[in-house]
Amino acid sequence: MLINPWMKKYLGLALACALGTASLTGCGGNGSGTPSGNGNAGGVTIGVTSFADTLEPTEQYFSWVVSRYGIGETLVRFDETGELTPCLAENWSISDDQLTWTFQIREGVKFSNGDDMTPEMVKASLERTFEKSDRAATFFDPASITVDGQNLMITTKEPVAILPGSLADPLFLIVDTNVDDSTFAMQGPICTGPYAVESFSPTDACVVVRNEHYWGGDVPLDRVTLKCVDDQATRSMALQTGEIDIAYNLKTENVAEFENDSNITIQQMQSLRSTYAFMNQKGALSDLTLRQAVIRGLDRETYCNKLLEGGATAGKAPVPPTLDFGFDTLKDENAYDPEGAKKLLADAGYKDTDGDGFVETPTGEKLNLEFVIYTSREELNVYAQAAQANLKDIGIQVTLNTVSYETLLDMRDAGQFDMLIWNVLVANTGDPEKYLRENWYSTSSSNQMGYSNAEVDAMLDQLLTTFDEAARKDLIIRIQQEIMDDAATIFFGYETTYLFSNNRVTGVTMYPMDYYWLTQDIALAA
Amino acid sequence: MRLNFFRTHKQFTIFALLALLVIGVAIFAPLLAPMNPLEASMDDSLQPPGGKYLCGADKFGRDVLSRVIYGTRTSLVMALCLVAVIFVIGTVLGILAGYFGGIVDGVIMRLADMMISFPGLVLAIAIAGLLGPNMVNAIIAISAVSWTKYARLARSMVLKIKGCLYIEAAVTIGTRTFDILRRYILPNMITTMIVTAATDIGTMMLEIAGLSFLGFGAQAPTPEWGLMLNEGRTYLAKAPWLMIYPGLAIVIVVVIFNMLGDSIRDILDPKQEP
Repeated sequence: MLINPWMKKYLGLALACALGTASLTGCGGNGSGTPSGNGNAGGVTIGVTSFADTLEPTEQYFSWVVSRYGIGETLVRFDETGELTPCLAENWSISDDQLTWTFQIREGVKFSNGDDMTPEMVKASLERTFEKSDRAATFFDPASITVDGQNLMITTKEPVAILPGSLADPLFLIVDTNVDDSTFAMQGPICTGPYAVESFSPTDACVVVRNEHYWGGDVPLDRVTLKCVDDQATRSMALQTGEIDIAYNLKTENVAEFENDSNITIQQMQSLRSTYAFMNQKGALSDLTLRQAVIRGLDRETYCNKLLEGGATAGKAPVPPTLDFGFDTLKDENAYDPEGAKKLLADAGYKDTDGDGFVETPTGEKLNLEFVIYTSREELNVYAQAAQANLKDIGIQVTLNTVSYETLLDMRDAGQFDMLIWNVLVANTGDPEKYLRENWYSTSSSNQMGYSNAEVDAMLDQLLTTFDEAARKDLIIRIQQEIMDDAATIFFGYETTYLFSNNRVTGVTMYPMDYYWLTQDIALAA
Repeated sequence: MRLNFFRTHKQFTIFALLALLVIGVAIFAPLLAPMNPLEASMDDSLQPPGGKYLCGADKFGRDVLSRVIYGTRTSLVMALCLVAVIFVIGTVLGILAGYFGGIVDGVIMRLADMMISFPGLVLAIAIAGLLGPNMVNAIIAISAVSWTKYARLARSMVLKIKGCLYIEAAVTIGTRTFDILRRYILPNMITTMIVTAATDIGTMMLEIAGLSFLGFGAQAPTPEWGLMLNEGRTYLAKAPWLMIYPGLAIVIVVVIFNMLGDSIRDILDPKQEP
């Protein structure tokens, strides 16, 4: 009567078509920009996944992004083989009482604003990090930092064996403290790296330009855009269309897409990254039996070999087999064994009393484990869904909660989870000590799952002051065994990482410590 | 006589039968589906169509055909709930606004104006994001942006009917307001409202699938078409069947319900009477 029926008919159809197309091609939405996305001829675009809300290096793990984007540098760094090499410090040594490390600061280094980087500035930057980040003290706690000429002395109360390696963590990258540091968050910190921030948008892109004052010689590129393409399929398509030149974090399934493409170079590396899930012992998972059953219910070999098509090695222990810390000798009493898991549950009184196919707790309450995962790594979803299916088979109900990485961090800090996925570099200081301490030491700020084992704490404390390689290895193996016996954490797997780049660019290198993405070596092919 | 009705309305008859077929698939899903849609046999990850899996297997070795069949349930139930919710809320608010006018009208219609001043799906995404992703919240989110259409339609019709002599007569003889609304106004506008609701079923299915695709609707491992499309997206080059079959299901079912809605309108709308 009031609305012309024919108009309505076509409007309805048009709407249906429009929405249909929108939902079918939604994946292309982000990446359907023009193929000639490189508006700047001399520039390079790198497709990245980013978790940084800001570029303030002392917040969360955002310093990693500052380091990856070629903005910030540390006193020492890791090379392609994972060995420590000089960077802003030319060499370093330890005193006879093992309490004082002396770093000789490189001369002639300037910040990107032209200021000289003096040892005093290094001291101020390190002190700023300790003041602002509660993660810093988990590496080591300096009693004093002093300057003598070109030398920087860091003294600790107890000997710290991994101190140089710790300073290679991006958290300790050197910033200019003489400028207004409130601008670091959105305009980028003033650092010494080959590139400096031009503009930054957390969800879109970070544009960096050549640091004219770089100490290490010529920087080949005028401008590099680090474009956030969080979706894996979109990132792959962006590389196919040439919208990006380098793509990080692509996976096994993308290898097939580029196999016959001579324009694309694929590098791969058995990484030092471990994917695992915290189990919150402040909730239903406080019960050791339930945790054991959960871990025994997960067929991690199949996840890695079949579902990820060999894109990962199946996990059982904190430290991957790529590092020699006794992976093969560790005894895993929670290997895949669904029947054993069911029996464990039944013996402990977990029964399905309301007939919904899922067990209730021995006290008769509903058991529904919330498994929190984040979106930017596709394989996490595979692990989580596979785990959900496997645990359903043994009668444990799991609800997935997929959130952004930033939300996941908040949820972890608030302890709001039963299981929470985590993907991290195992040897971020060149050795797993820091990683073990951060995650399984009872009072560590990252240990929000309530794991506490006096043995582990004691051995981690002992490890702090142990310099002897063999003794360290032995301790680390024993710590891992304790963590495994406590069924504290689900170790899903250790991923293989890939780096895809096209022929426009050269000098793209993979590092075992993935702190370095955009480096001085990356240039346009001649 | 009855038979004659179906003969003269061939289009309606065909699409009504097809719609019944879809509803039948939803109801008898457990009998039709060859396998359990949630049963993962990971050794069969990404098996191509044929053999054991007629439409292939997904990443976790679940049967795509069974998931598509069970997906009918999810999509249909959600779409019907959604249409029912917005139909009731929109009509009631529209009648109130139209009949009482004044401040009631002002408040309700300004609220409606607010809602349509945002792009619908974007606002729905925002609401679903705030409430947390699940199917009920997806329905709430889409309802919040879709009820306005019904409210406006109902209001305009009430305004028209309100001016009729029989309403004035009813008021004069002291009929209670509720009775006027129920016995004189509602029956005179309900057909148009139902036609609108019927044509909306298909659209709402698409919106739900859209939200699920974006991760704000159904959550894994629920078999839902939009979600299945999203899951298959990563393996598009290698396992296109993960997207083809749920996509086909959406197209077919949406077309059926859109055409059915059109046929119903053709029959009920007096202007279309030959």
